[in-house]
Amino acid sequence: MAYQFDFGQVVSGEYGQWILSGLGVTLQISGVSIVLSLVLGTVIAVLRLSKVKPLVWFAASFTEFFRNTPLLVQIFFWYFGSYSVLPESVNQWLYARDFEFACGVIALTFYTAAFIAEEIRSGIFSIPKNQLEASRACGLSFLQAMAYVILPQAFRVIIPPLISQFLNLIKNSSLVMTIGVMDLTYMARQIEAHTFHGFEAFTVSTLIYLTISLIVSLGVNLYNRRVLHVRSR
Amino acid sequence: MHWDIVFRNFDYFLIGAYPKGPLGGLAMTVILAVGGIFGAFWLGLGVGLMRISKKPSLRWPAMTFIEIIRGTPLLMVVFWFYFLAPVVFGHTLPEAESALIALIVFTSAYIAEIVRAGVEALPKGQMEAARGTGLSHFQAMTHIILPQALFNMIPSFVNQFVSLTKDTSLAFIIGVNELTKAATQVNNRTLTAPTEIFITIAVLYFIICYCLTEFSRYLERRINRYQARGR
Amino acid sequence: MRNAARLTVLACLFTLVAAMPALAGKLDDIKSRGTLVAGVKDSQRPFGFVDEKTNQIVGFEIDLMQALADRLGVKLELKPVTSSTRIPMLTQGAVDVLAATMTHKKEREDQVDFSITYFMTGQKLLVKKDGGIKSVADLAGKKVGSVKGSTSEQNVKKAQPDCTVISFETYPEAFLALKQGKVQAVTTDESILVGIKNSDDKPEAWDIVGDYISPEPYGLGVPENDSKFRDFVNLALMDMWAKGEYQKIYEKWFGKGTKDYIPLTWKMEFWP
Repeated sequence: MAYQFDFGQVVSGEYGQWILSGLGVTLQISGVSIVLSLVLGTVIAVLRLSKVKPLVWFAASFTEFFRNTPLLVQIFFWYFGSYSVLPESVNQWLYARDFEFACGVIALTFYTAAFIAEEIRSGIFSIPKNQLEASRACGLSFLQAMAYVILPQAFRVIIPPLISQFLNLIKNSSLVMTIGVMDLTYMARQIEAHTFHGFEAFTVSTLIYLTISLIVSLGVNLYNRRVLHVRSR
Repeated sequence: MHWDIVFRNFDYFLIGAYPKGPLGGLAMTVILAVGGIFGAFWLGLGVGLMRISKKPSLRWPAMTFIEIIRGTPLLMVVFWFYFLAPVVFGHTLPEAESALIALIVFTSAYIAEIVRAGVEALPKGQMEAARGTGLSHFQAMTHIILPQALFNMIPSFVNQFVSLTKDTSLAFIIGVNELTKAATQVNNRTLTAPTEIFITIAVLYFIICYCLTEFSRYLERRINRYQARGR
Repeated sequence: MRNAARLTVLACLFTLVAAMPALAGKLDDIKSRGTLVAGVKDSQRPFGFVDEKTNQIVGFEIDLMQALADRLGVKLELKPVTSSTRIPMLTQGAVDVLAATMTHKKEREDQVDFSITYFMTGQKLLVKKDGGIKSVADLAGKKVGSVKGSTSEQNVKKAQPDCTVISFETYPEAFLALKQGKVQAVTTDESILVGIKNSDDKPEAWDIVGDYISPEPYGLGVPENDSKFRDFVNLALMDMWAKGEYQKIYEKWFGKGTKDYIPLTWKMEFWP
């Protein structure tokens, strides 16, 4: 089959604009979800280490459930399935806003938070146990000991795995196009539908994802070398 | 709540239109996952060994492959093989095959990293000792290094299998009739029970993935105990 | 290890066989293969959808394809496609022919060829009854559901630049969004809207409104530059019309007695 390559059409003019606006949405939805999933993941990890049984049980089932179901199914559940779970007035309030974007954020946040909670938990385990006991002995409460003594140390070690989770989140954000969020992948498909130059559109967007990933992993390597003094082979 | 819709279509979720029509649903998901991990293991093993090789002509292509695949969303890889491979190769692949190849290629990059980590975690002296007894590099690899490294990494392989099982849901986007596609078909036809349908298939995926995760933890404990005894 | 080697050899052989170029035209291909592979919709009542009792794909376009396969003397094999996958699937040869509610558009002529029109309809809006939307003008500032890669998605943006188009994978998903209030209208061909409306438990709650935003003549998609096959398809369609077979199939899916009643108001192009 004769196929005329035409990268000019995809990267310039109207379609170039589409790619840029898609990239903007991808960065926005990833940025918001990264912040929220870090917060939620930390909370879940702390709950799981607390001594209160119902909280531990809740945190454990949260992690297991969201880690062990496909993100795509979760996205569909939040978008189509949340309807009959939430009250009608809440639904209408949500739908008047950018509900597609919000669903994407919720799905990405819950899914990633489950993984982040596990990373943080193993980070906390890497801190010697007597540190917590010692801080408790100094009169700090469990939460104070966590916030001032344990977590700051744990974060230093888990920053590299955390960042690779964030990177996964950015890549996973391509799935939100299934519910109509106009991210980079969505735009690549739109250009394919309009121009039938899918090859070029997909090449350009793949390169953009790759660039983001490479920049981030370079950053992680630098951090490993400078802060943790680990030489990656 | 309309749980009756779920019950009426439960056989469709499990096996699709089989035996009167093509196999689909959960059965197709399992086929994709098992076929995918089998293919990805061999490809990933090859790439991983290239990656730890001393020869730059082997190491660099493997590194490039791993970095490109790990830096790209799976959805893009799926699209690449589905829409664009035919532009390159000039002929088409059926959806299920094309999804399977995309899953194999994608997962193999992660398997390669597991293989690398497994080999690098072994003490350096092992290789030297093996070479010292007169084995060639290849013999030392296949008889001494790999059996230990792969054994130690079994839990990581199982975890990768869990990811792969979840990833098969993306095959739905190019029209493969697996569990997620079966769910959207039933949802599109009935339009009354999206909550029930998506909860049901989430639970089906969960059962498989959770059992595998627990299995991997069990293996990890066994392996740790085994190694502790060895020391 | 030996298994792996055997697999590799198998994979190479498979690639070789699959890479062999099709020397003959589509018509000979189909006859020698003994099957006609048709790309159809699988969630588009009444054109192509999965029957709840049998779990098989049925519908107007499926019956049309069966009639075509009968004329070729071959078996029919169905492959589900969506609006965004159908053209790539045809150009890559994954399907021989597309019967998938595809509008004959000039832009699509670069990729594929079309048969004569086998179904005539136009783009309209599906809205909640008495919801205040009567035409495209009322869509300003509203969210409209459509499907990725469809003509309706592009047309409505031109007709009403002030609306937000949310694009889904399939029309039923767009309708579900309308039912749940996430979008205020769904726009596509009237024939599809009728099917969607009637798939609901309460069809009377919905209205199809507005003038035609654009005419939508459906053509069967056939591979580019294979006039022998296209001629066969065209003559087969005309033959079905002349023998009353087309009308019978139409009556079965769109007739007065059906839920999706649309009167047959147009005539098929007929070559003397």
